[in-house]
Amino acid sequence: MIKVLFFATIRDYTGVKETEAEGPGTVMELLTELASAYGSAFSDEAFEEGEISDRVIIMVNGRHIAHTGGGNTPLKSGDTVAVFPIIGGG
Amino acid sequence: MDNLGKVMRVNLTEGTVKTEDLCEKTVREYIGGRGYGTKVLYDEVPKGTDPLSPENKLIFANGPLTGKAAPSAGRYMVITKSPLTGYIASSNSGGFWGAELARAGWFMIIFEGRSPKPVYLWIKDDKVEIRDAGAIWGKDGHEATDDLLAAVGDSQAKVVCIGTAGENLSHIAAIMNDKTRAAGRSGVGAVMGSKNLKGIVVRGSARPPVQDAEGMKAALASSMEKLKTNPVTSQGLPTYGTAVLVNVINQAGGYPMNNWQGAYFPEADEQSGETLARDFLIKRYSCFGCPIGCGRVTKLGEKIGEGPEYETIFAFGVCCGVAGLEPIIEANNICNELGLDTISAGVTIAAAMELYEKGYIKKEELEGGPELRFGSDEAVVYWTRKMGLGEGLGKKLAEGSYRLCEMYGHPEFSMTVKKQEMPAYDGRAIQGIGLNYATSNRGGCHVRGYTISPEILGLPEKLDPIDIESKPAWVSIFQNLTAAIDASGMCLFTSFALGADDYGAFLKAATGFDYDGTETLKAGERIWNIERLFNLREGLDPLKEDTLPDRLLKEPIPDGPSKGMVSRLGEMLPNYYKYRGWDEKGIPTAEKLAELGLN
Repeated sequence: MIKVLFFATIRDYTGVKETEAEGPGTVMELLTELASAYGSAFSDEAFEEGEISDRVIIMVNGRHIAHTGGGNTPLKSGDTVAVFPIIGGG
Repeated sequence: MDNLGKVMRVNLTEGTVKTEDLCEKTVREYIGGRGYGTKVLYDEVPKGTDPLSPENKLIFANGPLTGKAAPSAGRYMVITKSPLTGYIASSNSGGFWGAELARAGWFMIIFEGRSPKPVYLWIKDDKVEIRDAGAIWGKDGHEATDDLLAAVGDSQAKVVCIGTAGENLSHIAAIMNDKTRAAGRSGVGAVMGSKNLKGIVVRGSARPPVQDAEGMKAALASSMEKLKTNPVTSQGLPTYGTAVLVNVINQAGGYPMNNWQGAYFPEADEQSGETLARDFLIKRYSCFGCPIGCGRVTKLGEKIGEGPEYETIFAFGVCCGVAGLEPIIEANNICNELGLDTISAGVTIAAAMELYEKGYIKKEELEGGPELRFGSDEAVVYWTRKMGLGEGLGKKLAEGSYRLCEMYGHPEFSMTVKKQEMPAYDGRAIQGIGLNYATSNRGGCHVRGYTISPEILGLPEKLDPIDIESKPAWVSIFQNLTAAIDASGMCLFTSFALGADDYGAFLKAATGFDYDGTETLKAGERIWNIERLFNLREGLDPLKEDTLPDRLLKEPIPDGPSKGMVSRLGEMLPNYYKYRGWDEKGIPTAEKLAELGLN
């Protein structure tokens, strides 16, 4: 089972703070499943022209997917995926 | 340069006020604010000056853009020699006070000497009076602000003042303006207290002019478009404030817990920006001329306050093992009232908790107060107040983490760089920010070079937080750009959307000088280097002091996403020195100083 956590405005699109997924082998597959479950608001934020959008930060086990293979980042049972919008602070 | 305002020199020993012209060459080379102020401090405060003596100077400095039409341009800086670090202090604050000072026609105030009795300064345009503050001394910052406004008979005037912490010469005392905004770090409030200066009240009636109104208009149009379309400045910060960082830093395994004994907090969402917005937020707060509005007006019970910011949530929350927001909000309000730096205050309590739990602070020293145990809501609130009032053990805590831990013979529990408490990111999990802490001229500080932006948030590029090759260059560039922004009078948060060229355009319009992106960065580098020269003159030993606590260098993160990591500072530092044009001992080379006009 893969644990998926949602934060900030992403929660407005999902209506939940977290969910679980079983089966997706990559981040892209997971996001496609989530887009199907949560509709166009989530999908529009997560995807840009078929690719994962720059408007979201996605971490797998604390690592930004930009450093682990992007959408092809492999997933396995026990992983934690965190989905954030682009945010800042200081 | 008349459009930027005049320099006021106040000698508190003699009770005199003099007016001086701005030096055009210094504006061109150091911009203003943090830059101009540091140049004055470097030239006028001799080596070895006791920071709390009359010989130290306390400088309030605007930038050329403070109070102008540029976005988020309400910032001023306080520059002095720090009683906390013994090195340069330059603390930045927003709100409305700096802009009001500009409207009154002043660019900078230099305080010298020490008043024989408590006083405040009343500035109404070009009229300046040193007035007795005997009846206000001893009051907290909120009461003092109300009393000062009543005393001058103008509720629209703006007040900067100290609370009891500054009066008591706490090494972590802040200077507060507009009640809830702080020039927080490095103990600048103690320097103000040492001069018997309770506050500065200012009222201005002019609209500060700019050199090139059309140029300002064009720069504004371009920048506003970027700020409006950038997701951070148009959505993230306005919606959740800085506290939106809690979850992302925690998920990255870089959220320092229990005095840096961990870096992942399972209860983090309880203290997140999302929870703050849901349960406590009343409305947003915007500083002067700010289209972002990251400030939070919150309500706890019947009490309305401002904040807490992300850093404050970290300091009183995760760093002390506290999960819920209530005690954090309460401690934050106490700091705003009594005038304490929230980062240093929270991190010092965390150090005290470790000292207590390991048996070095004895129970009898608590004098019946709550036990200093990680996770104790009651302890965080109680000991923050004691610190701000300088009572009992609180007086020791008010010296800051380093001195506290040294008093008990265990400086290794002090999570400080150059004796200043580190902020809310773990340099083991995020390598660049560790390098930035270690090399920051004012000691442990995140806003000298905020590499969290590329390392975690992916802006403007996605840097791997565990990579060390790219960090020396990025840290240097961010430090230089930040120095220039701090000198300009604009808020650092605009840099999520704007770049050096944008700041250059604003500075060119305000001053008439040939600033562009390159020249802006060059001025920032000059500022960074003169700060370094100030510290070296005060005895900085880079090879011993450009470092991090041993805990970050030797103790791997015990669990969470960054389990096993330590800072690789030793591998990055030589490259950082090299990139900066400094020698292998961290000293600026003659060639670099000549290049910057500092020889």
